[in-house]
Amino acid sequence: MTQGTNDKPAAPIRRKPLAGAFGKIRIGSETVQLLVLAVILFMFFSIIVEKFLTVRSITSMGFQMPELGVLTLAMMLSIYTGGINLSVNATSNLAAVLAGFFMVRYIPKDAAGAVVTLYLAVAFLIAIAVGWVCGVINGLLIGYVGVPPILATLATMTLYTGISVGLTGGATVTGFPTQLSVIGAQTILGIPIPFLIFVGFTILTYILLDRTSFGFKMRLLGSNPVAAEFSGINNRAIIMGAYMYGGILSAVTGILIMGRTMSAAYEYGATTYVLLTILICVLANVNPGMGRVIDVFIAVVILQILSTGFQMALSGVRGSTFFKDFAWGVLLVLVFIANYFIRGRRAQSS
Amino acid sequence: MAEDLLRAEHISKRFGGVVALDDVSLTIRAGEICCLVGENGSGKSTMIKIISGVYTPDEGDIYINGHHYKRLTPIEAIHEGIQVIYQDFSLFPNLTVAENIAINELLASGKQVVDWKEVEQIAREGLARINASLPLDAVVETLPAADRQLIAIIKALLANARIIIMDEPTTALTQREIQALFNVIRELKQRGLAILFVSHKLNEVMEIADRTVIFRNGKKVLDQGAAGLDIPTMAYYMTGRRLDTSAVTFEKIDETAPPLLRVEGLTLHGGFYDVSFELKAHEVLGVTGLLGSGRTELALSLFGALPADAGRIFIEGKEVVIRSITDAVAHGIGYVPEDRIREGLFLDQPIADNITVTLIERFLRRLGLLDLRTKSAEAERWIRHLEVKTPSGELPVKTLSGGNQQRVVLAKWIARSPKVLILNGPTVGVDVGSKVEIHELIRQLAHQGMGILLISDDIPELMQTCHRILLMRAGRIAREFRREEITEQALNAELVAAATVESR
Amino acid sequence: MLKKAIRTHEFIIFLILVALSLVVGIINPAFFSVSTLFDTLRASIVYFIMSFGVLPLMIAGGVDISFVAIAAMTSYTTHMFLLKLGYEGGTLLYFFIAGAMGLLAGLLMGFLVTRFNLPVFNVSLALYTMWYGFNLFFIGATANFDLPQGTVGYYARFLVTAKDPYVGQTGLHVSIIYAVVVGVFVWWLLKYTIIGRGLFAIGGNKEVAIRSGFNVNFIWMVAFALMGVLSAIAGVTQGFLSRYFNPVLFITQPLDVLAGIILGGASITGGRGTVIGTALGVLLIQIINRALILTGIPVQWQKLVVGIILVVFTSIPAIRAQRARRLRRTTEAA
Repeated sequence: MTQGTNDKPAAPIRRKPLAGAFGKIRIGSETVQLLVLAVILFMFFSIIVEKFLTVRSITSMGFQMPELGVLTLAMMLSIYTGGINLSVNATSNLAAVLAGFFMVRYIPKDAAGAVVTLYLAVAFLIAIAVGWVCGVINGLLIGYVGVPPILATLATMTLYTGISVGLTGGATVTGFPTQLSVIGAQTILGIPIPFLIFVGFTILTYILLDRTSFGFKMRLLGSNPVAAEFSGINNRAIIMGAYMYGGILSAVTGILIMGRTMSAAYEYGATTYVLLTILICVLANVNPGMGRVIDVFIAVVILQILSTGFQMALSGVRGSTFFKDFAWGVLLVLVFIANYFIRGRRAQSS
Repeated sequence: MAEDLLRAEHISKRFGGVVALDDVSLTIRAGEICCLVGENGSGKSTMIKIISGVYTPDEGDIYINGHHYKRLTPIEAIHEGIQVIYQDFSLFPNLTVAENIAINELLASGKQVVDWKEVEQIAREGLARINASLPLDAVVETLPAADRQLIAIIKALLANARIIIMDEPTTALTQREIQALFNVIRELKQRGLAILFVSHKLNEVMEIADRTVIFRNGKKVLDQGAAGLDIPTMAYYMTGRRLDTSAVTFEKIDETAPPLLRVEGLTLHGGFYDVSFELKAHEVLGVTGLLGSGRTELALSLFGALPADAGRIFIEGKEVVIRSITDAVAHGIGYVPEDRIREGLFLDQPIADNITVTLIERFLRRLGLLDLRTKSAEAERWIRHLEVKTPSGELPVKTLSGGNQQRVVLAKWIARSPKVLILNGPTVGVDVGSKVEIHELIRQLAHQGMGILLISDDIPELMQTCHRILLMRAGRIAREFRREEITEQALNAELVAAATVESR
Repeated sequence: MLKKAIRTHEFIIFLILVALSLVVGIINPAFFSVSTLFDTLRASIVYFIMSFGVLPLMIAGGVDISFVAIAAMTSYTTHMFLLKLGYEGGTLLYFFIAGAMGLLAGLLMGFLVTRFNLPVFNVSLALYTMWYGFNLFFIGATANFDLPQGTVGYYARFLVTAKDPYVGQTGLHVSIIYAVVVGVFVWWLLKYTIIGRGLFAIGGNKEVAIRSGFNVNFIWMVAFALMGVLSAIAGVTQGFLSRYFNPVLFITQPLDVLAGIILGGASITGGRGTVIGTALGVLLIQIINRALILTGIPVQWQKLVVGIILVVFTSIPAIRAQRARRLRRTTEAA
């Protein structure tokens, strides 16, 4: 299925899914659809943009997508359990700001390389601890107090951003040790390190969701919380767990952002990042009790191909970086419409 | 007076390979209360949908007010004065009583601007028609089910109904409310309306019917005046079997053995008071009572969903504290809920996962990972053991029929081998065949040593499975019967007596 | 009973508003001034208009975030278009062109939702990105300060003026009239038309609404059209009040606006919401913002305080609901 065709980008979406059966294969067919879409877009840009199919541009995509990618995994968990998490981006910025403060204030200027590495490790731990605490607060509000997720995380989004603003006074935190840029700007065997981190967390999240009892319970809880409670699942604990892990993933995003920009700020990404993560989840068909990590991964790749592709295709054109936003919206609408017809055909055939 | 308002003649309807109705005729007469009785899957609801125009019959003719229809549309049915009151009452929960009553008239008038004086006036007229008084500006979702039903009836009357079809109208009502509903129904009858009362509760049918029609497996098996019809006869026609409890072998209970579950003075304010009983291994203990008697609350308390306010619970002689469902499950208690869809199943999820949800920790292997192969093997084992009819355990559970869904819910708890299994209405909405098998399963589980608490208002069911039956009334245990001591009729009489006490 | 509860909800918000004002006023008497009143209202005008546009949709059960993008797209595009034509006239043409574009944008969204049976939120997410992208790429990426001659004085056109002991001459901007007119219209639509009652009906029980004979798709289209037009009006008004047109107008604010509506008692799942409550919700957020400045809380900590207030405000009803749920579970049996 992946060999695809190289013309008419709309055709593969409408193409009949591989299998006519239900169940596993049907879920798989969504993965195939996304994969085909990714391949088509990739080929499309390889043909129309001269330098798209180069190591350089592919590497740069590898550097750019991980931030949004890891953040989307955090968003996915909340949607998967029947909620939403608007505070993901505020969490990553708060984690980055606090870890950044630590690095700026406590790393001695004359520290040796190895010592700095140790300090960096502590800074990462601080970031992750901050993310964890943010997740705990979300989990408490949603799981224990019973605030609807959209309201709870809207409130904590403001709260976490408020802490960042208060601590930094709105300024950008800079002056990090150069070793930090390993996270954001180095490669191993030609593969960008942030991309490896993204792949690592994708695999970890996949295992968590599909191979552990925690993931199993998250899925059932998302599907029907009342029945989950009546099956002896401790809903509160599972919700707490989902938001804690989401908080940690957000913190990892914060570290990735620091590594790439060598700075931390309360406003990085702002609301648009949150909405983009939701958008990717929608494209990847993530719903309460439904969704696959691999689909989310592919959807992130699609976003990046689109973004880089249009940027390169329109380079020199005024405002070229913004065309991707427009294209993204149009693509999403087209995918919705295509899904509508595919669903209709499935309903007819069954 | 027996003017035929509606005649449905030689109706047949198939869904795929399943015959839902097979050459069935039904007549509805003005000024008559006709009760349509049958088990789930007998074709009752298919018939309702055909005479209200929702389904088109494969064969047969419909005559309404002398007009002949081969295929009836919903609009035509409404124009002919047919109104169906479904179990959900079809109301807007967020709107007021007045608006809910008047909305159809407003829409029919074609006006685009709402005159609230007019709305109120329509609502008042509607209420006057059945001499009801409801607060006009109350929001519907704050009202009890009985009031919502009255609104639905008023809406039907305002739509110039000549035939009102009520689908299981008493499901959510307390005994007192049922009596009030019956008074309304009798008054409608006096005015010459025809009522089709669809139910499977035979004592209600006994009370209200002028004529009783019984469906079984898509065929009409009885159609006669209510006089001279008693509950055992109706039950026979409904199920096709003489209920013969002597044929069932009951597990012997060791009377000297210590109880598996002992409850002392359990109280939940507003639910039940000072409830004490014992349940032994191998025993099936029935708990019955009317809606609102506290039977469901008792079950939910024992299962930790509504922790009791006072009293003690002992399992195998040891006192336990049950403050949450997790506690109850940890102490070896399982619960099969009454509302299967809401509380029992994950409709979009695979059958296999619906079964293994209670045992998921058993499949944990190295590093906390699940052994998926063993998990699906275990699920397959239970699917085969309980004869769930499905091509694959990976299909979502919503693809199953009611009876098979209930087997899945049962499997999920049996697989854990709990010490005490609470079954709340285990055969509600289940076809006859599955029902018999589920009863057999309950006896088997008792045989294996489980203690079973069976909550039900289905008297034949209680008689076929229970050793003892507790009758609850107004939140207290009113009587205890040993199965040998009581007949089905006597138990039924007790239940009805409880009702009259409560409605006083 | 619930009607009373909704009334109480609005009343509670009103009480909170009064209490908050008193506290701030005691800390800083400058708060009790005509100037504060006028400034708060001026800052609220565009949020009133936008919120009133989103409210009907929300009542029908649709959560939209694209309204801010429509406001930005219509106002900025109109401005750049008229600028290119060398237009030097008044504000009316702006409202007219932007309103027409908003109408089309709303209808486009309504078409997508009703024709393809899509969730409102998902579509709005796509359109949110699309409209901002459209603005930035096709129209322009920088804010524009060149106003036509006929509109230059508009930002200081006042309905009433007053002497204020602290700041001297102060005035209430005329565009408050738009907010009032829009508010009254939406209130009338919701309360006195079949379309309005249909919105409540759809939000309460969509299936029954269809069965009862409401023209559900038509009602949806009206709600989307209204949202589009009012967003456009809000966008243009904001442009004139701030004296520049911004391609990313309101881009970070859709969730804040929704929060105001929800604070005002509207339900995110539909079926509930009033114009008065929405107006109070918008005012509450504006007063909190102002209060933070006037009480001397350092600027950098203000957002944190808002966050804490939001956490408390969202938790209280949740705790109350939890208690009520437990009570109902047990009383159902009695």
